[in-house]
Amino acid sequence: MANFLERICQAVVEGDDVSVVEYVQEALQAGESPLRILNEGLMPGADIVGKRFEEGEYFLPDLMLAGRALKAAMEILKPLLAAAAAADATLKKAKIVIATVQTDIHDIGKNIVASMLAAAGYDVIDLGVDVPLNSIIDKAEETKAEIIALSALLTTSMPYMKDLIDLLQARGLRQKYRVMVGGASVTPEWAESIGADGTGRDAVEAVRLARRLLGEA
Amino acid sequence: MRDYLELLDRAYTGEYISEENWDLEKVAATARRLVKKYRLEWDRNQVIPTDEGLIDAVFQAGLEMAIELGVYCRSTERIIHLSLQEIEEGLRTMPQSLVMGEGKDARTLYARRIGDERPPLFFGGSPGSPIPEEYFLENVLSYAQEPLIDLLTCGTLTEIGGRAVRTGQPLEIVATRRELQYLRTALSRVGRPGMGMLAAQSSVSELGDLAVAHPDLLRRCDSHLVPLLNELKLDFRNMARAVNSWEYGMINASLPCVIVGGLGGGPPGSAVINVASFIVSNLVCLADYHILHPIHIRHVATSTREVLWVISAVGQAFARNAPAIIVADIYPKSGAGTIELLYETAANAIVNSVSACHIEGCGSADGKLPHCSGLEARWMAEVALASWRRKITLEEANTWVLRLLDKYEKVFTQEGGNPGKPFDQVYDLKSLRPTVEWQALYDQVKTELKAEGLID
Ligand code: B12
Repeated sequence: MANFLERICQAVVEGDDVSVVEYVQEALQAGESPLRILNEGLMPGADIVGKRFEEGEYFLPDLMLAGRALKAAMEILKPLLAAAAAADATLKKAKIVIATVQTDIHDIGKNIVASMLAAAGYDVIDLGVDVPLNSIIDKAEETKAEIIALSALLTTSMPYMKDLIDLLQARGLRQKYRVMVGGASVTPEWAESIGADGTGRDAVEAVRLARRLLGEA
Repeated sequence: MRDYLELLDRAYTGEYISEENWDLEKVAATARRLVKKYRLEWDRNQVIPTDEGLIDAVFQAGLEMAIELGVYCRSTERIIHLSLQEIEEGLRTMPQSLVMGEGKDARTLYARRIGDERPPLFFGGSPGSPIPEEYFLENVLSYAQEPLIDLLTCGTLTEIGGRAVRTGQPLEIVATRRELQYLRTALSRVGRPGMGMLAAQSSVSELGDLAVAHPDLLRRCDSHLVPLLNELKLDFRNMARAVNSWEYGMINASLPCVIVGGLGGGPPGSAVINVASFIVSNLVCLADYHILHPIHIRHVATSTREVLWVISAVGQAFARNAPAIIVADIYPKSGAGTIELLYETAANAIVNSVSACHIEGCGSADGKLPHCSGLEARWMAEVALASWRRKITLEEANTWVLRLLDKYEKVFTQEGGNPGKPFDQVYDLKSLRPTVEWQALYDQVKTELKAEGLID
């Protein structure tokens, strides 16, 4: 059994989205539980990738490829996990809608944060860059997300994060979402001043923050 | 112009590909393959590569990438392919000299060579950094008044009359026009009205850019940025900048910001992407000159070993294979009022200068705070000119840079960075002189490096 899980972990580390699907299917056929495949196969792989990236050993494509492998594996596991989650609510993984706000096209940091959140097991819906505020909110509503994560690198696009929070308020939706914000010029003081629920300096802090906001840590 | 409109057509008819597949299957995979094929390697202790075979291979690999990939149009999710003939034509017609500014203040930028007899030129300013309106003019003056500064650039105005500027909103137009008014005022105040500029930095979308193409604001002898998106991408907003300036006649500076540690992997793959970016920007950005501004994926700063290597490899690759006017940016980690800013600037100035580039800076404190001043720009020019005057070799330059790295490299792991202080705390806004403390740090570093033999 351990062998299956190890191979799955390794396939994530190598960003191999073809093999990982094969191994997951083999593991399931052999009677392995979807939850164990997730927690002891995929997640440790994602952890290794995250660490290697932080240490400068892995580069952006490695992170993106691992994200791809994880996504492919999750396509198979999701329905099975959903069944398990229906029986046990603690197994449910939160949905996070992430975007770079309108007029801002800086996406390197946002992509890293999205990859790391996905690697931490969250269901991440990445809307891309230059996303209008209403589209972000509509998507969050549609997907029943719990967190809205916003990225902005420009002092002149940061006000849109405040505008989004104001818009949530105006639409009577503020209480439904935890809003986290980030980007090179975002400070904790500023995040607080616009009524956001938190910020993080990098992707590792973003994951920590998500866990805290969801009461998982 | 007809050719450019034809490129726009291609943005609609080119092959469709999702952005993620472009990133991974085209850019990242090609970079990886070319790095292997050409056996490109870098050495942490050789931040200025001296192996000519390696430099030429970086150029060849970049050329191959440009031919193979073309550019991705994000607005239509299609590939704009560029033919070999177009690419060669683009390389052949890169300006070899370019007059910026007018009258007695005009300067001629030229395609530099390694060991060039002619000195590099200097753009002074902290490009794109957010600067409060209350001292925007004084900040610009602090650069314009420096005799060694040849050309002027500036930060962005993020507030107008106390109102926050939002990108793409009407206030962006006001901010960009106001920026140009401040710049022109500064130039006449220091008696250099004809100095050339790289401006419209407050134009984050294309709006502001379009609104300042006027002889009273951004003249035809000035330049503006036409950015490429990472990596090898562009969109209609940025193509609009190119189209407008074509009609109007001002100078285009291409701005690819290759992320070292990003899709290209380490420094060699990133250098290949940067070469390819310049090659495609000849056509899609209608570039008259190129801004060389790779950044470090974690530390941002151009003064990291990895980024210094990329700057040097790309600068040398063009100088040896297809001379072009390249202006290499200096964006140090540290901000004004810190000693490390001066060490970082010195290292960057040496690398940029010996690698056949002109120099722009400093985007102090990663260019994200108003923690910048004319003093570090003076220092940037002094160090670059000293190394040029002494005709130091690439190998000697490398030794110097390694010694400087020893003095500042710690800032990259420092908690909270090394932001220093805002402009109004390091300069007296009335006299426009550095404060006693900031001046003392500058004098100290100058004395120290004089004793070590780096400068005169
Ligand atoms: C690369 C870059 C570009 C590229 C962007 C390409 C791309 N696809 O992203 C290009 C060349 C296109 C570009 C264009 C411009 N840029 Co720019 N750019 C940068 C640069 C050098 C690096 C950004 C980066 O990728 N860093 C690396 C990543 C990994 O870091 P990061 O984005 O900060 O993300 C990390 C954290 O912030 C955090 N994080 C990010 N998002 C989130 C979200 C959440 C929820 C959380 C918790 C955390 C989090 O985690 C991330 C991972 O560690 C910065 C300099 C800087 N100091 O940041 C300037 C910078 C952001 N740009 C700037 C400017 C002014 C511009 C332009 C207006 C230039 C111009 N005058 O034309 C245009 C604007 C285009 C637009 N409409 O957005 C200024 C902004 C100044 C300001 N404060 O307003 C900066 C600071 C530098 C400068 N002075 O020019 N730019």
